[in-house]
Amino acid sequence: MAWILLGLLAAVVAFAPLPALSSPPQARTLRQGSAQAFEIDARQFAYSPSELKVNTGDTVTIQLVSADVVHGLYVDGYDVSVEADPGQSATLTFVADKPGSFRFRCNITCGAMHPFMIGKLTVGSNDWLYRSIGFSILAIIGILLFPRSTPITNYQLPPTDH
Amino acid sequence: MNRPELLARLLIIAGILLAVGAPLYLWSRTPLIHARMAEAGGWTPDVLQAEVGKPLHLKITSDDVVHGFAVGQMDMQSVDILPGKVADITLTFDKPGTYTFYCTRWCGLNHWRMRGTIEVSGSLSDPSTRSGQRPEPGAVPLYVSLRLDLDAPHDAPSIPPNKPSAVNGQQFTDELPITNYQFSDYYRSHSPYQVFTDLSTTPLTESQRWDVVAFLWQSNTTPESLVNGKRLYAQNCAACHGENGGGDGVFADDLTTAGESSMQTMAGAMDMAMQAPTDFTDPRRMLGASPALLQGKILRGGMGTGMPMWGSIFTEEQIWDLVAYLYSFQFEYHP
Repeated sequence: MAWILLGLLAAVVAFAPLPALSSPPQARTLRQGSAQAFEIDARQFAYSPSELKVNTGDTVTIQLVSADVVHGLYVDGYDVSVEADPGQSATLTFVADKPGSFRFRCNITCGAMHPFMIGKLTVGSNDWLYRSIGFSILAIIGILLFPRSTPITNYQLPPTDH
Repeated sequence: MNRPELLARLLIIAGILLAVGAPLYLWSRTPLIHARMAEAGGWTPDVLQAEVGKPLHLKITSDDVVHGFAVGQMDMQSVDILPGKVADITLTFDKPGTYTFYCTRWCGLNHWRMRGTIEVSGSLSDPSTRSGQRPEPGAVPLYVSLRLDLDAPHDAPSIPPNKPSAVNGQQFTDELPITNYQFSDYYRSHSPYQVFTDLSTTPLTESQRWDVVAFLWQSNTTPESLVNGKRLYAQNCAACHGENGGGDGVFADDLTTAGESSMQTMAGAMDMAMQAPTDFTDPRRMLGASPALLQGKILRGGMGTGMPMWGSIFTEEQIWDLVAYLYSFQFEYHP
């Protein structure tokens, strides 16, 4: 009986829509697919801000402002890029229709540490983080509530023959 | 293997070696020019020799960031110099003299210090070519013949309450004898404020007079000039003076900091302000400056401030286009 209850809870954790996504449909369409604008300041060898969070379906507009040398911004997975000279900021617009976390990186060689000039774009909420936290809690509860029912039989070393 | 066959084989091998080796040898004889940020040495070498009429082959690579290559006052497309790649450039000069080559992609606060010279020797091949491209020797820029002091304060004593509009100004021009104001000599040697005072004999109100000034300034330029000026501004000026002319470009703060440390021991706190890039949206400053004064400032540069000397890079026409664009921060022009 208790096993069935635990199984049901696990199913809830795995498939229940998250509170953020279960808002009424009207609010959802307003929230999702809306325009998100960011201004990213790029200088050797970092972006600021370097983490962007948007909802799935948003139209993302990134204005790239270079403050020292020519920098670029390339979003992995979306395969879009933009290049900005200092004094000539450039704009990149795309629709974030793929959920997940994506790296964006400088695609114009900008000095010795150029390969480390990276940032992160998160599209949609991080469902799996919350679901795995839920699973971990369930597992701990399970361990505490259901001690092993089959007794551990005394284990004897096999006789050694000399 | 008989003799003729051996001979034939040797001949083919020699032919292949020659076909591959000769271009490779010639290519390797052209020295490689390295481009680095100005702090790390700029162009190496930075003095090149050439002869009139003979093509000059250049191979350039970058050692750090994206640079660009162009020769001042020459009608050429700038070439991007990318790290790890070699750009091949062929130049032909048809006039002797000293040319300036410079970096065209912003590579830091000292980007504009990345310059070098090409010394072109020989005699003029065809005197009729390139007329108007470089100023004739002996021709002096307008600010010199007008005896303008480029460093003197030139603030306008009064400014319009709001942005003067050329469209409004045009309405009043029909009834006014202003045609003599429309000659480019008059426009270039007078500041908007001077024209505003010259118009005080007319029955117009102050704001109407400013509108007429805006109209006069627009009638002395063309839409093509403004477009060209805007492009030059974005490429060469916006990094310090700001994309919207506000003196707030990405390097403005760095320049002020650099100015503070370099000027502190020399002349005290007042001179530090010189290092901050000019705000072109400030009417007091802009309406008190004549086109000739602005041309002089662009030609000569800031002398000790971060403002480069553009005289060896821009043609005269390009500077006038830039000057016309700078005034568009002050006036509302026809669409």
